[in-house]
Amino acid sequence: MKLYRNLSISQKQVVWAWTFLALPVLFYVVIRFYPTLNAIVLSFQDWNLLGARTWVGLENYDRLIHDPVFWKVFKNTFIYLILGTPLSLLASFTIAYHLDKIRFLHGTLRALYFLPFLTSTVAMAWVWRWFYQPVPIGLFNNFIASMGFQQIAFLNSTTNALPAILLPAIWAGLGFQIIIFMAGLRAIPISYYEAARIDGVSSWTILREITVPLLKPTIVFLVVFSSISFLRIFDQVFNMTTNNPGGPLDSTKPLVLMIYQTAFTSYDMGYAAAQTVVLFSILLVVSLLQLRIMRDR
Amino acid sequence: MATVSIRNLVKAYGKTEVLHGISLDVADGEFVVFVGPSGCGKSTTLRMIAGLEEVTGGDIMIGDRVVNNLEPKDRDIAMVFQNYAIYPHLTVRKNIGFGLRTSKLSKPEREERINEVAAMLSMTEYLDRKPGQLSGGQRQRVAIGRAMVRDPAVFLFDEPLSNLDAQLRSQMRLEIKKLHQRVGTTIIFVTHDQVEAMTMADRIVIMKDGSIQQVGTPAEVFHQPANAFVAQFIGAPSMNMLPARYSGGAIKVAGSSIAIELPLPDGSELTVGIRPDDLIVSATPGVFEGLVSVLEPLGSLTLAHIDIDGADIVAVADGRTPPAVGSKVHLAVETANLHVFTPDGEALR
Repeated sequence: MKLYRNLSISQKQVVWAWTFLALPVLFYVVIRFYPTLNAIVLSFQDWNLLGARTWVGLENYDRLIHDPVFWKVFKNTFIYLILGTPLSLLASFTIAYHLDKIRFLHGTLRALYFLPFLTSTVAMAWVWRWFYQPVPIGLFNNFIASMGFQQIAFLNSTTNALPAILLPAIWAGLGFQIIIFMAGLRAIPISYYEAARIDGVSSWTILREITVPLLKPTIVFLVVFSSISFLRIFDQVFNMTTNNPGGPLDSTKPLVLMIYQTAFTSYDMGYAAAQTVVLFSILLVVSLLQLRIMRDR
Repeated sequence: MATVSIRNLVKAYGKTEVLHGISLDVADGEFVVFVGPSGCGKSTTLRMIAGLEEVTGGDIMIGDRVVNNLEPKDRDIAMVFQNYAIYPHLTVRKNIGFGLRTSKLSKPEREERINEVAAMLSMTEYLDRKPGQLSGGQRQRVAIGRAMVRDPAVFLFDEPLSNLDAQLRSQMRLEIKKLHQRVGTTIIFVTHDQVEAMTMADRIVIMKDGSIQQVGTPAEVFHQPANAFVAQFIGAPSMNMLPARYSGGAIKVAGSSIAIELPLPDGSELTVGIRPDDLIVSATPGVFEGLVSVLEPLGSLTLAHIDIDGADIVAVADGRTPPAVGSKVHLAVETANLHVFTPDGEALR
């Protein structure tokens, strides 16, 4: 007790801060860091979840490089990322930009856009799955057929399935991105726009040279955030292709789904761990790259 | 350069009328300051002249054009905002040049114009910096430069100095005044600070509750206030206001009687106004006498709060030899310096 009394105010603050931080630190070490490190170790081992773990060196990685399914999945994952992130950001910015300008029904519209974010992904995936079914079940195909066009194979086609799954995934994240964009837009002082109005520059110039540059921190945050979520896409794919997860013919399978199947269908834990390490590295590299590119110089 | 005329200008937000038909003529090259307490409608008036607020009723003319329905960019005005409205992600050069975006000047001409303005504001060496690297006063100069670069017919200033500290404010006040003397453009300046109004204006427009109270030169509004509001708003410390009664060719005020001729019936209620600097603290009997309750030393002079018959009066005393707190003092005042107001505030003399 005497020891504590003799500490300076800032030393006492440090003691208290660490006292309160101890629990989360413990949690992170046991629940996050230990499994992460264990997964990295496991990626150099062979294990079927029950037997002994045996060292196999780089065999899992070697297998990965020569696995055509992995490369297919790798490509799929990047298509989700490369299409999903810009499309969702463009859509959410356009909506937020215009929503910010209206007063009438502003709150209602904002709530409607936010609603999908609050809904369970599984429920949403199944509703969209129903939309995509062929005649006479699916909503979209019924509509297309009633207009006299040939129906479209959404989830049964190797070319259409991925975009068909990506669309609801983008839509589901829109609400969150719109809210963040609106907060960013609100933070720009009105006088910036008034000054530009007096200077007589066009709304396009205002958007390009004032609004977007001032939204840069918001944009960086959303790009990183949405990239991570598209790289980790799983629920939508798993639930919309549940008869044959990731199908047809692996055309929609993302990396996380492959890891899931390798681990819990094939019980090939070492191989799954190697895939996880690859995903982890991709996430790390992509996030760091984006932060670096978009950072203020 | 241009004149600005306002005719019966009305502004209403829904059913709430905030500007009740004001009229004013600003001469070419004149420096006019709108002053008044918060919510008096001065900024709204300025924003209507700028075209940032719609006109509910009446007309605004810049030069000989009615501009009510013109876009801000077509009014040939420039505006300096309270928060400067300079863009943090652009350099000073680009900020100043922003106003030239729509001009027909060639690129070298624009560069020349930007350099010219920067030199006029002593900002040349800061042209490639960003606003975050500038002090408050320098940012204010960038905002002014941005307005100047377009060479508008009228400058509008919306409380541009309120975000600066006291020392910088008086320095910028002087700079803006010098700038006006040099370029001679019509300026309409809005402030809530009567010192800014007095020191800079050719003419002051004093507003309250959406109406103009008085328009006049600094000397006019100080020495001949149109009503009790103007009398108290202009001048620091504020004018002393004392309830009084007129009878028998004299004003009875605070236990004293001052002989004066007024065109009023006997027994009329009045308010007498006396500026603190017109009250002379003396040892010999004067008009009033009272006890010193509080002293506020200001260096060269001391403000003495004096309790006369229960009323608190502020008088200016000498800074070196102020009266002691609790001591009895006599106050003299010249009859010519008395302001007299009717109970509803209108000035009688």
